[in-house]
Amino acid sequence: MHVPLETPGLPLTETHAALFGSLTMNRPADPTLIPELIPLCMSSGLGWRVPQPPLVVLAFMGFEWRFLKPTRVGDTIRSVSKTVAKRSMKEGGVVIEERSILNQHDEVVQSGRLTLLVAKRPTA
Amino acid sequence: MSGEPRVYFEDVKVGDEYTSPGRTVTEADIVIFAGLSGDYNVLHTDAEHMKASLFGERIAHGLLGLSIQQGLLDRVVPGQAVGPLASVKWKFKGPIKIGDTIHVLARVAAKREGEQPAAGVVTLERRVVNQRGEVVQEGETDHVVARRPA
Repeated sequence: MHVPLETPGLPLTETHAALFGSLTMNRPADPTLIPELIPLCMSSGLGWRVPQPPLVVLAFMGFEWRFLKPTRVGDTIRSVSKTVAKRSMKEGGVVIEERSILNQHDEVVQSGRLTLLVAKRPTA
Repeated sequence: MSGEPRVYFEDVKVGDEYTSPGRTVTEADIVIFAGLSGDYNVLHTDAEHMKASLFGERIAHGLLGLSIQQGLLDRVVPGQAVGPLASVKWKFKGPIKIGDTIHVLARVAAKREGEQPAAGVVTLERRVVNQRGEVVQEGETDHVVARRPA
């Protein structure tokens, strides 16, 4: 629970920006910039690429996030996360995850806390 | 951005409101977002599994809803009145299902000094509302907005 989990890296390309831009209409005026929400969105997929079974997330409840540095086309991001709190509820439990996104220079470009509703292990 | 009138920090007023157009979230949106992000959670990709879930069917990724509302709001906020995102506090209050139509209501909640003298920080309150008037997502975003050059 306390060991930070680090994902593999992912280079962000013009293709990511173009697909995201056409899907969501997020298009920065400067074409060398990656839209700000892309690293956050990609980090949820990167979380599936660690050698550990994924959390059984029932719902994403909310998050707080800071955008610290711009990401440019060609940068390689990875995500580092750890669970910082959990509490049991009637249906499932709430897990608070702290997540940072780093670039190839080991700079934290975005970071924050995510609140997830996670299933409990089924009783036999 | 030539020809487009710039809006500066000084021009933004607390209480200014913006209403975006609507957008219907489709199955294609969800499939493309799953492929792009790599988030293939069954919540978004397994129709049969979801029949038995809390939601009864596949739902859009929360971050897809967030990204769509960002694009929708950009269409109605005049010339860069809200600059780059500095921070987000966000709550996912209800599901966005395939075929739901969402729009965004935003209001300038606060203005304050920024870290750099050339820019201030504008806080927007946002609500993402579906076709039944239900708030499915809501939160606050901070933006760095340039001051009018002296």
